[in-house]
Amino acid sequence: MTQAEIKLCSLLLQEHFGEIVEKIGVRLIRTGSQPLRVIAHDTGTSLDQVKKALCVLAQHNLVSYQVHKRGVVEYEAQCSRVLRMLRYPRYIYTTKTLYSDTGELIVEELLLNGKLTMSAVVKKVADRLTETMEDGKTMDYAEVSNTFVRLADTHFVQRCPSVPTTENSDPGPPPPAPTLVINEKDMYLVPKLSLIGKGKRRRSSDEDAAGEPKAKRPKYTTDNKEPIPDDGIYWQANLDRFHQHFRDQAIVSAVANRMDQTSSEIVRTMLRMSEITTSSSAPFTQPLSSNEIFRSLPVGYNISKQVLDQYLTLLADDPLEFVGKSGDSGGGMYVINLHKALASLATATLESVVQERFGSRCARIFRLVLEKKHIEQKQVEDFAMIPAKEAKDMLYKMLSENFMSLQEIPKTPDHAPSRTFYLYTVNILSAARMLLHRCYKSIANLIERRQFETKENKRLLEKSQRVEAIIASMQATGAEEAQLQEIEEMITAPERQQLETLKRNVNKLDASEIQVDETIFLLESYIECTMKRQ
Amino acid sequence: MAEVKVKVQPPDADPVEIENRIIELCHQFPHGITDQVIQNEMPHIEAQQRAVAINRLLSMGQLDLLRSNTGLLYRIKDSQNAGKMKGSDNQEKLVYQIIEDAGNKVGTEFHHVGQAGLKLLSSGDPPASASLSAGITGIWSRDIRYKSNLPLTEINKILKNLESKKLIKAVKSVAASKKKVYMLYNLQPDRSVTGGAWYSDQDFESEFVEVLNQQCFKFLQSKAETARESKQNPMIQRNSSFASSHEVWKYICELGISKVELSMEDIETILNTLIYDGKVEMTIIAAKEGTVGSVDGHMKLYRAVNPIIPPTGLVRAPCGLCPVFDDCHEGGEISPSNCIYMTEWLEF
Repeated sequence: MTQAEIKLCSLLLQEHFGEIVEKIGVRLIRTGSQPLRVIAHDTGTSLDQVKKALCVLAQHNLVSYQVHKRGVVEYEAQCSRVLRMLRYPRYIYTTKTLYSDTGELIVEELLLNGKLTMSAVVKKVADRLTETMEDGKTMDYAEVSNTFVRLADTHFVQRCPSVPTTENSDPGPPPPAPTLVINEKDMYLVPKLSLIGKGKRRRSSDEDAAGEPKAKRPKYTTDNKEPIPDDGIYWQANLDRFHQHFRDQAIVSAVANRMDQTSSEIVRTMLRMSEITTSSSAPFTQPLSSNEIFRSLPVGYNISKQVLDQYLTLLADDPLEFVGKSGDSGGGMYVINLHKALASLATATLESVVQERFGSRCARIFRLVLEKKHIEQKQVEDFAMIPAKEAKDMLYKMLSENFMSLQEIPKTPDHAPSRTFYLYTVNILSAARMLLHRCYKSIANLIERRQFETKENKRLLEKSQRVEAIIASMQATGAEEAQLQEIEEMITAPERQQLETLKRNVNKLDASEIQVDETIFLLESYIECTMKRQ
Repeated sequence: MAEVKVKVQPPDADPVEIENRIIELCHQFPHGITDQVIQNEMPHIEAQQRAVAINRLLSMGQLDLLRSNTGLLYRIKDSQNAGKMKGSDNQEKLVYQIIEDAGNKVGTEFHHVGQAGLKLLSSGDPPASASLSAGITGIWSRDIRYKSNLPLTEINKILKNLESKKLIKAVKSVAASKKKVYMLYNLQPDRSVTGGAWYSDQDFESEFVEVLNQQCFKFLQSKAETARESKQNPMIQRNSSFASSHEVWKYICELGISKVELSMEDIETILNTLIYDGKVEMTIIAAKEGTVGSVDGHMKLYRAVNPIIPPTGLVRAPCGLCPVFDDCHEGGEISPSNCIYMTEWLEF
């Protein structure tokens, strides 16, 4: 784990879980897998607290454990999983676009709580939705359950591995740590629950309903005492599926930019058809025949079969090479070339960074070296039509920033510099790694700046919170308008301005973190698929 | 009657006569005649007289002495050239010879054996037309020195003389700006020396290239726009958004922004820079030989395209473009908390 990654993980853990969890988590990331006592000893925290911290981390799937021989249980932290916490807003937003508010809240609850049973999720989400609805309306459990089932069907949520139910009782002592298993088939199997009920609105002491809660209270307690039907079946959000979705989105938008809307719709249909059938790390999707694609096109698009065929041919012939033709049966079999698409997106990211940092002439040289693979300095000047001095300058700058590297080819055995060819080349994988590292550090910087801004204005924030609390309580006890005005004026106009600026800055920094995370996603996917291919 | 031993004097024993006969023979065989041929023509002349005549002709500059596989050849020298060299001494003639030979890069089996016994190993003269089509790069002064073994001061003096007589000219090479190459006055220097259409007086014309770049791109962009708006079936739409290099060349010529005559290859180099800018893509299709603009049975087609992703997330944050990124860490002189770039960015 690089220094930048560890820094970022520590910032994220601190923000989400607090100091103690952060200490334990960073310790585990730094030193790999360790048993419980060693962690407690090294970090100087009490055993009790370490246990609680590990509980929190394990609940959120950030830490896993393994039983080694001699009965020692070692805990290991997953640094990459911690970094996924940056992407939570994106996951939630995606579910919102696909499954509207209900889905959004389901995924939000799952992400915030790590693992939950289905009934618990449904109850919480129904309650939350009911609060936001108008008076008198409540959210039915059945609706939430339906959305949950749909999410499970499209693999956005999955079951957590659980303790295997042993048929015959184990004679020996139970193992120090249970081994969790999950059957592939059961991963998306929703248990048959009959969840009947409605969302409960949480009322603060309301005079009108004062009578009702008292009457209903005994019933609530009895409800809680009933055994939950699906105890032991926990669900978590399936991050891989979300990543697949993001990747598909990126490919579709790339096609839309390069060609037109209809082509991107066709590509989206093809990707949707292969969502479940293709594993996320496959280089190609399953071959899809043009007839199938025609049948699966969204209803609004009424293009004829010939036009579809023409579009498919155009897509297959395009220099982008996102779509390939793999056969002629069924009107033409087409595949989407996923690895090539990721490589093109990563290359485009690199080019965009070079363009913004160094200028468009540098970008021209960069693309030139990318295309020619290995090229001499003299040739760079000729092909790029840039004066010699400037071209040299730009090449050296990119070389010093590690976007390019030199390949030496000696003419004589003694490698004399005057008699050696020096060829410039771009190694996309190493440039992507370099850029990824930079992204991590950038996000760490942004988070630090955000915390700094908040800390600077802490006094002001506390004051405004106090004022709000006072106003709320006074409204509840029925204060007059004039008194409310007076208290509101406790916050002067410039302070209000400052608060506004602070809110705006914090939002901007937050949004920027999410944008940098998009770059991280593209680069990480590319590096992952290239490493797998090798 | 006493027998008078009369030596039959051959009628052309006169040296001038011999020379004239030799010159006539040379005219008959413009590619050169060997000693053998002269001997056959005039069998009654002794070898010595022949040698004297030939030497005289050589020294007068009317004959060229060449060495070939079969032996020595004599060739009539171009009288025009002979006139030029009047007044120059041997050394100048030698240098002029070297430059003239260097102007013809194509090597033949002839070797120039110079006057006054100096041996030269430069290549001989092929037919004049070949020298114009091959790249004439001229010869560097140092090479002249090597070939003629004359000292530097002499060479400089001679070159100055020849230049003033307008027999040779100096061309500054674009590759090494201090280096001068010499070639005959009436020859056109090659592209590699002058840099072709993109250089004027050894200066790379960046603005000219930029203007051409933008014009070509606008042309291709408008073509793509009209194709997109025509809303026909996609195949036709795509095909009509392409423009061949020939069309672009015609458009640029008609625009008239270029003072210099531009060839199709020049336009193709400009279009290549647009490809490296990521704004244009190229495909090659097979075309019939007769169609306009096709070279060797294929045509290059160009099309304006959009970039596949918008500017990426990292460059929207100040850290992505920060020049002091590596020095920045919490608690240091430069840190995220006091980063002035961030402060400015937050104020937008």
